[in-house]
Amino acid sequence: MKIFLIGAGQVGTTIIEALHEDHELTVLDIEASRLHAIASRFDVATYEGDGTSRKDLAAAGVASADLVIACTSRDEVNLVAGMFARLETTGATTVIRTSNVEYVELWRGGQLDVDFVVSSELETAYAISRIIGVPAARQTDVFAEGQVQVGEFDADEDASPDVIGVPLRHANIPADSKIAAIIRKSETILPGGDDTIQIGDRIVVIGSPDAAKAWSALLWPEGRAVRDVVIFGAGRVGSAIARVLLDQGINVRMVEASRDQARRAAESLPKARVYNATGFDPDFLERERIGHSQAGIFAMRDDAKNQYAASLAQVHGIPFTIAIAHEAVSVAAFEQAGIDVSVNPRGVTAEEIVRFAHDPRMQQVSMLEGNRYEVLDVTTRESSRYIGMAFRDMPVHGSLIGAIIRNGQAIFPHGDDVLQAGDRVIIFTEAANAPWVVEAL
Amino acid sequence: MTHPVARIGSPRRLAIDVLAVLNLVATLGKYLGLAALFPIPFALWYGETPLPFVVAGVVTSGLGLLVERATAEASGRVGVREGFLVVALTWLLAAAFASIPYLFEGGEQLSSPLDAYFEGMSGFTTTGASVVTDFDDINRSLGIWRQFTQWLGGMGIIVLAIAVLPRLRVGGRQMMESELPGPEIAQLSERIRSTARKLWVLYVGLTVLQALMLATLGWVGIDDLMTPYQALAHAFSTMPTGGFSTQPRSAESFSAEAQWILALFMLIAGANFALMYRGLVLRRPQVFARDEEFKLYITIALVASAAVTTMLWAYGIAEGEEAVRTAFFQTVSIMTTTGMASADFALWPAVPLLALFALMFVGGSAGSTGGSIKVVRHLLLGKVLRREIDQTVSPEVVMPIRLNGSPVDERTIRAIAAFILLYIGFWAVGASVIAIDSAITGTGLGTLDSLAAAATTLGNVGPAFGPLGPMGSFAELGDVSKITMIGLMWVGRLEIVPVVVLLTRHYWRL
Repeated sequence: MKIFLIGAGQVGTTIIEALHEDHELTVLDIEASRLHAIASRFDVATYEGDGTSRKDLAAAGVASADLVIACTSRDEVNLVAGMFARLETTGATTVIRTSNVEYVELWRGGQLDVDFVVSSELETAYAISRIIGVPAARQTDVFAEGQVQVGEFDADEDASPDVIGVPLRHANIPADSKIAAIIRKSETILPGGDDTIQIGDRIVVIGSPDAAKAWSALLWPEGRAVRDVVIFGAGRVGSAIARVLLDQGINVRMVEASRDQARRAAESLPKARVYNATGFDPDFLERERIGHSQAGIFAMRDDAKNQYAASLAQVHGIPFTIAIAHEAVSVAAFEQAGIDVSVNPRGVTAEEIVRFAHDPRMQQVSMLEGNRYEVLDVTTRESSRYIGMAFRDMPVHGSLIGAIIRNGQAIFPHGDDVLQAGDRVIIFTEAANAPWVVEAL
Repeated sequence: MTHPVARIGSPRRLAIDVLAVLNLVATLGKYLGLAALFPIPFALWYGETPLPFVVAGVVTSGLGLLVERATAEASGRVGVREGFLVVALTWLLAAAFASIPYLFEGGEQLSSPLDAYFEGMSGFTTTGASVVTDFDDINRSLGIWRQFTQWLGGMGIIVLAIAVLPRLRVGGRQMMESELPGPEIAQLSERIRSTARKLWVLYVGLTVLQALMLATLGWVGIDDLMTPYQALAHAFSTMPTGGFSTQPRSAESFSAEAQWILALFMLIAGANFALMYRGLVLRRPQVFARDEEFKLYITIALVASAAVTTMLWAYGIAEGEEAVRTAFFQTVSIMTTTGMASADFALWPAVPLLALFALMFVGGSAGSTGGSIKVVRHLLLGKVLRREIDQTVSPEVVMPIRLNGSPVDERTIRAIAAFILLYIGFWAVGASVIAIDSAITGTGLGTLDSLAAAATTLGNVGPAFGPLGPMGSFAELGDVSKITMIGLMWVGRLEIVPVVVLLTRHYWRL
């Protein structure tokens, strides 16, 4: 597929990283230095130019693209580039990134002439909402309109002895779920009945949303359904998170240092309780019993502040911390500092955009452990050699089918079940194997 | 080339373009004079002299025309700053205009200039406090004029001017807002001219409807007293929440059915006209259920009626349907600041009397014809108090005050707090002056009577207690009290702030 990418910033780079091997990429950016960095790492065509200039887009060859992605950090550039791409190409899919939820709503209302709009804020908010739903998970993703959930968990000292060290065939594993992989240091095990989960393992589970919650309870028994959260930072990201959580009936408190920002958040979110305070004032944290919240979400603009505030909140007793890592490098630092989960908005956005670059049969893809693993959602073809084969007879190739969607219903298959043509398959695979898996199905 | 010093010119001390103000007030006066045409057909029909109205019209329009000509150079120079003075002067002038016919035909009870001006101010401000003692001495045309002045003042003279006059170069929204009752939170979001027109269309429509309903009662013989003349006279008194009656015993003389209709339309007149326009004319009845002020307004009216019903029943003043009707009528009448009465509540015991006294401070809704503090201000103040209590515990919490879901500007909140404080201040000072004057002149007002007298005039309600009750008269009061009350009615109708502005030095001087 020919992909034309506008914007070689963090989101752009993550997308290139995921797509450069299988697709023909052209990257346009206004800054030569960024293009040099890209060109030295990946085999892609680069073009220095302005995304809002129709001339530049034409000269860079946008006309021949099958997919146009506008993912600069500026909404206006992305909108204009998307508009020109529509004019210059014939039927290319256009995807634009936005940081304004209003554009997402316009697009949903059919008022923006682009195929997809991806908002960093909303994707971040959804990611956090999934984490809140399954507090023990490091990362979760949903497939098939929420019927299938993929979760990545750490098995540590808190985990229930029912699942640790017990051969999986005897372990009391939640119904409607499958362990897709056990990641032990650098080794990945596609587990059979004799394998066991050890403390320190990281496991990938595919299952129903209830099963994901059950897993969360098994691996972190004290973690209960989250009812009260406190969000530090009421900017765009913080407000988007608050809105999504409030919609789920979760009680949200927000702490925002800027007076105007706090006022705006309080005006737009009537159900949230907003404080105009810094998250670093121990008197305030104590007086408002911030530590009684079940989870703290740190969505300030500055990663360093998020890290410090999260640590301080832990000292005040918040048991579960989620921090926004604006810089990819902060993820590791946050983990080191004992923050439970970090979310990189640009990474989440890139992941969402990458989904559009896959085979048309593929509806969705989720990336785990950076880009090491992928979970794909693929519709099987008549000609696939696996059609009519029972799951127990399928070969082990570094990938595993976690669920199938048949007639809109999710099924978590057992050994006797048989794959049928037209089934949607939720499959876990090593990223390197992904093209092969899609080919075979 | 003039020398720079020469170009600086002489110092201009005045910050107000007085000529422009006079010009606009004169223009308004010129048109206002036409209102005197209204009672002339009545005078001719009943064989009375139309002369007082001719004189009032000619004097007002003529004077207006003269001043307008004399200040023609300043035409159209009225800005936001001048607006306050225009509104204040226009209302003083309107009361004077209303009083001219009383001077001629008012007989002994109305022809003293102060009494005539009191009655004129009471009419235009829709207060309904009257110095009339002998209603038989007021002829039909003067009677309808007295009712009609309330109706003109109800929706506002300037609002009317904006609605009907072509090319009236009025400085716009701000002036209309200083005249429309209630804080500026949400008007019909349109050009002021079409807003003004819609409000007046609804106002006229409701008045006609009420007059027809009342007249029908007379027609079908349910209420023989309710002639078409009485029906119109009382519709003119109800819709602007005025309160004047042509009857010495106010609405007491009418049948129960007529009293229910009057009470119902008082309740309507105290609701927000912009809201009613959306709900009734645009047929979106759901707006009533969503409007917090409307819900609170109706709740207060019903709860207070129920409470007063219980009191009347318990005291044995009335029972059954009569108790409910009497309580509802008095409650709605006082709360909406109409001031019509179907019973002489001045004779009631202290408990129901205090209930009515408290209702004098409630008022109608914003954008209604009612006066006093108004429900929306109470509503918002209540929310502010709740926030203050909350912030005592958690000083950092940010809580925008919301009305119908939308945040209300903090400036508006402050303006409301200031308004209520000023209101209470004017009431207290007014009551003191009335009490002192009463002591000096020996008119025998009790403590509660003085307090109620100031509250009833400042809130544009009408009757007070004691000798100033619904069946009594303000005639016996001393001149100082009357002047104070004229001032209170004027200040209350303009919702205080536009008048207080005029008392500040920096309004006038640079």
